[in-house]
Amino acid sequence: MAPRIQSRRVSSTLLPYLGPSLSTSIPSLPSLPSVFSTFSRSFSATAPSQSKLRREMFEWLDGPGSELKHHKPNRTNYVSQYRKMIGKEYRDLKQYPFPENPTFISQSILSLPLQNEIYKRVVEEKQTVREVSVTFGVDMRRIAAVVRLVELEKRQRSQGKPLALPYARAIHEMVPTTGIARNPDQQKMHESINDLPMHPLTGAQMFYPVPESRSFTRVDAGRVFSGAPAQEHKIAEKWSSPHHVAERVPKRPHLIELVGKGDNARQVLQPADARIPHPQLIALERDLAKYPDEPLLVEQRHQDRLRDQAEAEQKQREAAQARRERKITSVSPQESRFDYRIKEVAFTTQTTGRDGRAPWAPGRRYGVPSDDRKRGMRKVPTRVEA
Amino acid sequence: MRNRASNSLSRGKIRQSWSKYNLFNLHRYRVPFNHNRSFFQQKWTAKATARAYHGEQVRESQWKRMFSHRIRSVIPMNPLHLAADDGSRASAGRGSGLEGDAKQPQITPYTQMAFAPLERRLDVAIFRAMFASSARQARQFVIHGAVTVNGQKMRHPSYLLNPGDLFQVDPERVMFATGAPKNKYERRESRQLKQKDAAEETVNPEAEEKVGKVEKADAKESSRDNLQALVVQAKSILSRGKNQLPAKRKQELRGFQKAVRRVLSRSDRSTILTDSLEAQFSELTLLLKTKQAEPKDSKAEKPVPRPSEVEENEAVPGEVEEEPFASDKLSEAFQQAAQGEEVDSSGLTKHETFALKRALAQMHDNPLDSTKPYATPWQPREYMSAFAFIPRYLEVNQNICAAVYLRHPVARPGLAEVPPPLATRSAPRPTAGT
Amino acid sequence: MVLRIRLARFGNKHVPFYNIVVAQARSARGAKPLEVIGTYNPLPKRPTNLYDENVNVRPFKEIALDRSRAKYWLGVGAQPSDPVWKLMSMAGLVEQKPATWNKA
Repeated sequence: MAPRIQSRRVSSTLLPYLGPSLSTSIPSLPSLPSVFSTFSRSFSATAPSQSKLRREMFEWLDGPGSELKHHKPNRTNYVSQYRKMIGKEYRDLKQYPFPENPTFISQSILSLPLQNEIYKRVVEEKQTVREVSVTFGVDMRRIAAVVRLVELEKRQRSQGKPLALPYARAIHEMVPTTGIARNPDQQKMHESINDLPMHPLTGAQMFYPVPESRSFTRVDAGRVFSGAPAQEHKIAEKWSSPHHVAERVPKRPHLIELVGKGDNARQVLQPADARIPHPQLIALERDLAKYPDEPLLVEQRHQDRLRDQAEAEQKQREAAQARRERKITSVSPQESRFDYRIKEVAFTTQTTGRDGRAPWAPGRRYGVPSDDRKRGMRKVPTRVEA
Repeated sequence: MRNRASNSLSRGKIRQSWSKYNLFNLHRYRVPFNHNRSFFQQKWTAKATARAYHGEQVRESQWKRMFSHRIRSVIPMNPLHLAADDGSRASAGRGSGLEGDAKQPQITPYTQMAFAPLERRLDVAIFRAMFASSARQARQFVIHGAVTVNGQKMRHPSYLLNPGDLFQVDPERVMFATGAPKNKYERRESRQLKQKDAAEETVNPEAEEKVGKVEKADAKESSRDNLQALVVQAKSILSRGKNQLPAKRKQELRGFQKAVRRVLSRSDRSTILTDSLEAQFSELTLLLKTKQAEPKDSKAEKPVPRPSEVEENEAVPGEVEEEPFASDKLSEAFQQAAQGEEVDSSGLTKHETFALKRALAQMHDNPLDSTKPYATPWQPREYMSAFAFIPRYLEVNQNICAAVYLRHPVARPGLAEVPPPLATRSAPRPTAGT
Repeated sequence: MVLRIRLARFGNKHVPFYNIVVAQARSARGAKPLEVIGTYNPLPKRPTNLYDENVNVRPFKEIALDRSRAKYWLGVGAQPSDPVWKLMSMAGLVEQKPATWNKA
């Protein structure tokens, strides 16, 4: 028999569905015993100490804690709000899930319409990830993840796999969310998109004397931190501005200067202008300051830069892909169920070491014990290929 | 590994768990008074507290091996400032910078980030993505094979996620972990149902051949039976929960009983529409759309509220009077719609039509099904909201119970992404503006 | 003495992994060979099922081979064993053996 919306299935669900707030749970479910009945005997005057705590707990859960029992749609509901804190308003406390930890706040997640909008713009309207990232203030990695997840969701829906829709609805009511504003100018930024990761080299404090007359910029600071010699005067005059570096480096990262020799060679630390995810925004700000009366020109230059950047990135990706494919040839024999991927390797003194059994050599090694049964040796895989 | 996860009240440790015991412990926890205690004592308590929350399910030797000196942090940069200044101003003058009265930068809470390597573990990430109600349960899901990483089954809870890894948990398990449990009546009901099914299968295996003929009559009969059973159920809820039920809810229940009786009295005449659930559903929504289009012209000024806005109505007392919830008409219309009859939505206000449509959609997503291991229709479990947060280093899609581990957790000025339940006192509380 | 290009088994129980080695024909399987020229993993890997384009992709086996060394050893008269012959024919280093010839 084909499934029907049956009365049995329907009517009792009517109760939660038609309430004022639609996904709050039914209060009519049998709840905890309101007063914990301690195991008491008439002849014993003292209650066991353990039950005192339990009694306190249930008193609290029935009293102030009962607010926490069911979620309140579209606002957070954390313990901090119900603790007496002097001088703190509800506004301050609603973000803190842990009352004793003021450095952790519950940050907002992307609302479902915003996720779908991001997917639409990237996949259907073919906007670049960079553009969408600036429009909504969402990190580029997050945009890539959203596109992956929404695509997977569409696939699972089309395959008829089970989904957790009521669960998703409930979570989006409990956790703060960032939605789409009706007016695009009022769109709330989800997160800061220009995060500069702190480089380990900058952790150390350094003393570096500089003449007062000299202009010491971020480029110079990066060179000092990475121990590179000071630039020659002519080159420095031409290239020491961080803005130049910011325009040059993201397109041609292979041109970054190296310090040290052989295995110790490291890239010179670049200024923040080149290391943030959206360097083109700096150039835009500079243009805005330079041509305050020509918005069209500014926009044109910005679009040109975006296009150049996108082309450069695309070229880099293709080159990397070609490099990978050059090493691997795939053979699919007719009579076999499998493909064979043949990878070109080299067994030379460099790759296998002088004695032919260097740990990084390709293939399993001779003359060394297999350590995989030893204590503390981890057999947990370190990565799963996507 | 000994399970120390039981939430004892006497010890009062805070765990990665959503239980109410844990909630009470979290509520009453205070940073210990350390003035008259020796350094060893302070260290002991500090470690015990941290260990209980972070990686309690991890063996000590493994736990010790995980930490790293490298603590990641980021500094949000403003392109406007970068464009205005090339950095020379900070080193100008006598080396202390020209801007003498610059704002004191906020402290980056590095100490909170000591436990960041543990957040890479698969079981902890599942708990953080709110797919399990405790880290222990997340661990069980992994071991029992309900978790995939990048589409491949992963059975190691200690797998360390790499940036870009996509992990997915079986939605049924997630619904079980986060949903309200069945009460004893529902448990008994599903048990009886299961026994009945088993008995029927053993008694008449040849009955299936006859089913085709009797089907139509049967369907009507069973729906009648079900309705009657529901009336009984509503009655029992009414009688059982005399003290618990709010008055409005009681009214609603009575209205519901009436509606059911009305339906019962005319169900002989009614036609059950189509065979498939999906077709029925889409037809109903279509019907509602056309009905709704007609009265729209008369009062078009008022914008149609988004679902979230409607749900906020509870908080706004003015609007509740405007929209009396679950009026008799509305519940009746819902009943009609659910029965697959012609829906008479002309008497409904726009709000009500909207609510009706939404209710239908939710009923479609969240059906009553006694074979599930959780109470149906699905509702979030109690005290869940007190623990509900999703850190920024995960991007979660709740519909398919999948999440992407975007990057390693980082600290930034004033904020840490790793949530230890307590912080050192040196870190100042950030102002509301940041 | 005959030089053979053959497989040497490594890995664990139910998890085989082979080095492609050049060795004296009479030496033991696990003995140190003259040279290792490649590896072969007979356990098929499956592309992830997360994406639509992977639905019809066949599972694959991985071979790593140093072509120049293989050519050299073939040139000086090393004889591939049957399984190695199969692998090398796929890499295009030797002619494919006729099927009847294998069975005989």
